[in-house]
This record gives sequence, structure tokens and C-alpha cells, in this order.
Amino acid sequence: MGKRFHRLVLVALCTIPLASTLFAAQTPKSGGILNATLIESPPSFSLHEEATISTAWPMMSCYNNLVLFDPLKKQESLDTIIPELAEKWTLQDGGRSLVFFLRKDVKWHDGQPFTSKDVKHTFDTVREAPGITTKLRVNPRQLWYENVESIETPDALTVAFRLKRPQQSLLLMLAAGWSAIYPAHIPVSELRSKCVGTGPFKLKEYRQGELIEMVKNPDYFVKGRPYLDGIRYTIIKDRSTRYAALQAGRQDIPFIWEVARMPAEAAKRAVPKLNLIESSTNVNDHILVNLTKPMFKDPKMRLAITLAVDRQGYVQAGRQGAAILGGVLLPKPYGVWGLPEAEQKKIPGFGDPAKQKIEARKLLAELGYGPSKPLKITVSTRAIPIYVDIAGFIIDQFRQVGIEATLEQVETGVWHAKMTRREFDVAVNTTGIGPDDPDANLYENFKCNSPRNYSAYCSEEMDRLIEQQSQVLEREKRLRLVNEIDKRLQLEGARMLLGWSKEYVVLWPYVKNVVPHQSIYNYGRMQEVWLDK
Amino acid sequence: MLVYILQRLLTALVTLFGMSVLIFVLLRLVPGDIVDIIFASAGFVNPAAKVELARELGVDRPIAVQYIRWLKDVAKGDLGKSYRYDVPAWQIVKPRIPVTLELAVLAILIAVVSGVFTGVVSAARQDSALDYALRLLSLAGLSMPSFWLGMVIILFLVSWTGWIPALVYVSPREDLRAHLLQFIFPALAVGYRGSALIMRITRSSMLEVLREDYIRTARAKGQRERPVVFSHALRNAMLPVITVIGFEFAFMIGGLVVTETVFNVPGVARYLVDAILWRDYPVAQNLVMLIAVAVVLVNLMVDLLYGYLDPRIRYGSG
Repeated sequence: MGKRFHRLVLVALCTIPLASTLFAAQTPKSGGILNATLIESPPSFSLHEEATISTAWPMMSCYNNLVLFDPLKKQESLDTIIPELAEKWTLQDGGRSLVFFLRKDVKWHDGQPFTSKDVKHTFDTVREAPGITTKLRVNPRQLWYENVESIETPDALTVAFRLKRPQQSLLLMLAAGWSAIYPAHIPVSELRSKCVGTGPFKLKEYRQGELIEMVKNPDYFVKGRPYLDGIRYTIIKDRSTRYAALQAGRQDIPFIWEVARMPAEAAKRAVPKLNLIESSTNVNDHILVNLTKPMFKDPKMRLAITLAVDRQGYVQAGRQGAAILGGVLLPKPYGVWGLPEAEQKKIPGFGDPAKQKIEARKLLAELGYGPSKPLKITVSTRAIPIYVDIAGFIIDQFRQVGIEATLEQVETGVWHAKMTRREFDVAVNTTGIGPDDPDANLYENFKCNSPRNYSAYCSEEMDRLIEQQSQVLEREKRLRLVNEIDKRLQLEGARMLLGWSKEYVVLWPYVKNVVPHQSIYNYGRMQEVWLDK
Repeated sequence: MLVYILQRLLTALVTLFGMSVLIFVLLRLVPGDIVDIIFASAGFVNPAAKVELARELGVDRPIAVQYIRWLKDVAKGDLGKSYRYDVPAWQIVKPRIPVTLELAVLAILIAVVSGVFTGVVSAARQDSALDYALRLLSLAGLSMPSFWLGMVIILFLVSWTGWIPALVYVSPREDLRAHLLQFIFPALAVGYRGSALIMRITRSSMLEVLREDYIRTARAKGQRERPVVFSHALRNAMLPVITVIGFEFAFMIGGLVVTETVFNVPGVARYLVDAILWRDYPVAQNLVMLIAVAVVLVNLMVDLLYGYLDPRIRYGSG
């Protein structure tokens, strides 16, 4: 007993310093400048007028939302939403009113007080409410707020979103990195070249094409935050230079949408102490067929096209293993709403490639195409290496079933205009979804008349189902309905999903609390990030 | 001499006018326009908003009207507003000019000094081991694109020293050492190719001149080899070399585009590519025009230097 006791005391004595060291290592330290990376100058600083990560990533640190996805939790969902400018919120009127109660200790970077008027101004501008005079130059997310009937401000610290019908997803969209609150006292046009937010960092210097330097906001309403004294976003265009800068320690973290697996792994091999984090981007790769063209209206033709493509082959050859198979919504383990693996495997195109190719040839023969009269199509894609790689793989798959496809590389600047005008036969495309949420995805990409519904797929029944799932408040019931929609959209060839790309973030181990989410657009606040140096 | 200078100035002005038309028209012949690109970020094009934006930017007017307006604005010193960044184009271009100018001057200095020197040595030691080594070095320089060499330098630095030059512009007042280190490597990458060409031209020109009668006479009179080579032969051998330097300056701008990108030097050349890709016409056309002016000026200087080095040229033209 005595010996055992002594041993226990010895173990305890040895453990206490070890535990305290571990604890100390995990206690955030204040100070230091984070050297972050961008690949281009943001087209503008105006979050509500842009859809590029080059704006979202640096500008998120300047602003706040009403609510935000917890930056420290990898998977975003309703359960991970935390308060920001809103202290709390409630659903009222059977889900038709979303009421936010705001913090009272918040100031804009220029010293003006933050009130409910700012919230109303922001979302009335974005949804282009009747009578609003402020106009955004480009308004990429107006559709998100289609269900908002009005925004009321009973007092300076309360905002009520009155909805046309219940919509659980509105809260998720408000938690996305894009949903920053703008100051009502500053014209939107001025926010294109400066940022006046309430966020943890203020803009210190912007050298176009070179760097964006942010400095700690000393009046930030969250006491003790941010930990960092500042962030320097250096703009480095060349990928090799970006990795060299990371390896040399000039940069602490890479551009978060670096994606490519091989250079990330090469950097890790060169400097083994770098951390390599595999994550998701919430970006899917897919084939679009132009449904305004008569030949693609036949479901047999669409089925033949989707059966021709080996999805596992796409993961290996098109994405060098850096993707997972999935349908319309991001699958597990990254996503919340995707089809279960067993269901996804039953979708045409995700089965045995050899058998599917035989079936595709048979279908093409039934449509009158064969070796003597091959189907000739053009496959369009953006003139960006990863797009071209995938399109090259698809063209080879088509060739194996007797489809003669020609590659058309379209310059990025012209790409969306061409897609919107439907000047293509078949296209290989990628789509990034803001929050992992059915409304954010389905309304934008599959509803009739949505400008981003490039294939021109239109089904009244599907529109009804999309509306229906949006109103279901019970999670399991909604998931079942969303899965059903996912299956149908794939079976009808609205978009032929290939898979979801993965990203590879390489960063120095002393950078703490940078936790990649399943969507790249939502974790740039940097409030919790600290340097263990 | 005055007539000769005036003639060259007139030619330069006509060239610049032709360039302005060419730049303006060619940029607008590229498919896609800025309005499509602005909307590309949103992933769709809203036709009504597009018309409004085109009117706001002035790109809905006929090309001829846009061209005349541009010339008028340039004459007033107004370079217009960047379509992409919504700020005056001059605000974007101005800080980049000294950066590219410094890089270009450094690169051309490296090219001329090392090219002429090695060319002369190589000619003076014709068919020796040193001559072969220098010729091999110059052949390597001609075979390697400057951007590739730039990447090799960066990778070499990071692999062997774990260090790379600053990636954000460091002014000489702020830190002279860091500034020089930031510029010397890209200047070497660009200058090496130029030095290779200059070396080869200097060598062949020197070999020709060294066989001239007046050189033989100088040697026969007991002149030492160094003054014969550097004082008598080099000046006459420089004419074709100067032509190449002028030509190389224009060519170097192309090399700078990628080298500035690889070394992350915030210069004009790197930004030009972006401006063209974004169809940011005010920035792109003014930058190309600026480069055209620089190239025309350098060629003008070369012409004038020709006249100075070889009086027969100015008399012939006069």
C-alpha cells in the first residue's frame, strides 16, 4: 500500500508539470502578425458585390454578421451557429418571423454606433427591397433573400425578418461569410475600396496587387479578441512562389483555396514539420448538357452521356485522388445533406464502369448513333488547368463509347456570359456553394429561371419540391426530402455530378485555430487565430 | 545632325500614333468585355444590369468615339478610371513604373556589362578553353527562358538556403539590403539571356574588327594588346551591339512579365497581363502605350548614338 502510494505520488508529480506544459501550450497567446496569402487582388472589398474567395477571405476579418458558423468547428450546420452582432434570436409566428436582439456595445471602425438600422440597410440593399435607393453594382446573392417580405426595426437593438413562409435556411445563409453587416452611414460604392466594419481587424494599408494589411481593432466588442496584432495578406500570383514562400517561412498560411494535392504534399515532404490538413471546399465538379438543344432533351441521350463517364476514374485521373464521389449536395463526412453512399452508388454513372459503357453504347445505338455515324459534340470548359484536365478525361471517356467530342477552352472572363447565354453543347464546370445548405444550393442552381441554372433544366414539380423542403422545420424529414430531390435531379440529368473536390491546406504548426470548414467562404474571421511562437 | 534628330523624332511620333490605333483596336477585338467579366464573379449575367453598367463605363459607345475620347483624355493627362478597381488608372500604374524601370535598368546593366565584357574576352582569346567556356555559357543563356531561370533561382534558394527574397516591395529607404536582394535575382534572370545575346554579337563583331588593317597597324606599331582591344577595336565593334541592346530592351519587357510574377515584384509588366485578361481597357491600353513610348525612346536613343558613334550615318541621312 505504502509503495503503491509512493508510486502514485511520483506519477502525479511527474504528470503535473507535463499537464501544465500541455495546458500552457494550448493557452492562446496574444500578439504577432499572421502572414497570410492571396492569389490576386480582390476585384473590390465589397463582400455583397463579389462572389470570389479573393474578397471573402481577407474582408471577413473586417466585418461581422448577425450570426456566424463557429470558426473552431469543422462541420457547419444549424448546430454550429454562434452569435455575433446578434446576442440571441428567436423564430416567431410559426417560423415566419426571425427576430434578432443585437449587442449594444458595438461600434463601427470609424466610431459610429452600430444599430438595427445598419442591419435593415444591409439586407434591404441586397434583396433590392422596394423603395431602396442604394444599388449594388453586381448582386450575386439576391436570391438568398427572396423569401424575406420585409425587415422591421422596432428599436435600435431589435431586427425582425418577416418571411413569406417559414424558412430554416435563412439563418444558415445569414451565418455565411458573405452576410456581413454594412454601415448604413457609408455609401456602398465607398466600401469597394475601403472597409468600415465592426470586425476584429481594421484596414491599415492596401497596396493594390501587393498586400492588404489589417491591424487589430482595439475597440472590438469581444473582450480579449482578436489575439493577433494584425494580418498581412500578401498577394502572390505564382503558385510555385507561394509554396516557396511558405516553405521559407515568409508566409504562415497558404491561400486556403490552393486545392492542389501534389504541391501541398511536396511542400510537406520538403518541410516535414508543416501541417497538412485535408478538407472540403464545397465545390462540385459536374457535366452540364444544354437542355435548350433538341438532341439533349431525350432522357436516353442524357443517360448515355452520364453512363459513359467512370466516376472513380474522374477522382483518380481528373483530380489526382483529391475528390470524393457525391451528388447534388455535399456528402459525408464533410457535408450534412448529401445522399448516403449506398444511395449514390445506385445513380447511373456511379456503378461498374465497364458495364455502364456497354449500356451507354446500346442507348446511343437506339438513338441512331454508332461507329458509322458517331455522335459529334463540343465539350466546353474554362481555360484553367484543372478544368481542362477534367474535360480531357471526360472527352476520353466519351470516345470509349463512340462519342466524338472536341474540346473548346473558354477564357474565364467570357465563361459565365457564355453559359448564361447557353452557347454550348456539353460543358465541364465546377460550382462552389456558400453554406452547406439545400436552399443555398437548390434555388441557385436548379430552379427554373435562376440565372445560374446553366443547363436550363426546368421542372414545375421540382420547383415545388424545392419550395417544400425549404419550409420543413424538422431536420430528419427535411433530409429525406432533400435526398429525394438530389436523386431526382441526378436521374433527370439536370447536372451530371462527378464529385466534390478536396482541398489541402499546408500551414506552420505554430498557427493555431485555423480550422478549415467544409465551405471555404465562411471561416475567414480570424478572431480566434493565434500564434504559438 | 539637327535634321537627323528631327527625322527620327517624326518617325517616332508616327510610330506612336500607329501603335495607339493598333493597341486600341486589338484590345477590343479580343472576345468578351469588361461588363461580362464583372458579372463573371457573380456567376451569371443580368442583361438589364449589364446594359446599365456598360453605359456607366462608357463601353457602349462606338469604338471611334471611345478612341477619340481616350486620346483627348491622355492629352489632358487623364488616364481614365480602372474598370475593375473603380479607381483612377494612374493611381494603379504610378507606383509600378519605378519598380519596372529599376528592374529593367538593372537587367540591361547586367546584360550589357557582362555581355560586352565576356564578348570582348572571348574574341580576344579566340578558340581558347576560356572562349569555349564563355560560348557555352552564352548558349545556355539563349536556351533558357527567363521565367524558367527565375523559377530555378527561387527553388534553388528555398531548397538550399531556406530563404527567398521579400515578396512585398521594400523601398531602398526602408531597407537597402533587402531592396537590393529583392531586385538582384529577377534582374539576373532577365539580364542573363540578354547578356548571352550581347556576348555573341560583341564576339563576332570584335573578331571582324580585330582583323582590320588599322588594328594590325596598331599592333605593328607596338601598341599593347589591352588598348588595342578596348580603345581601338571595341568602339567600332559596338555599332551592331548597340542595335541589339535597343532590340533587347523591347524583348526584355516580355521577359519581365513572367519574371515579375515569379519573384512577386509589383511592376508594370506583371500588372499588364492582368489588365488585359480583365479587359480593363483604360489600364491596359495606357500601360501598353507606356511600354511603346519606352521602346520608341530607347530606339530613338540608339539611332542618335549611332549617329554619334559613326558620323557617316548622320551625314548620309542628312
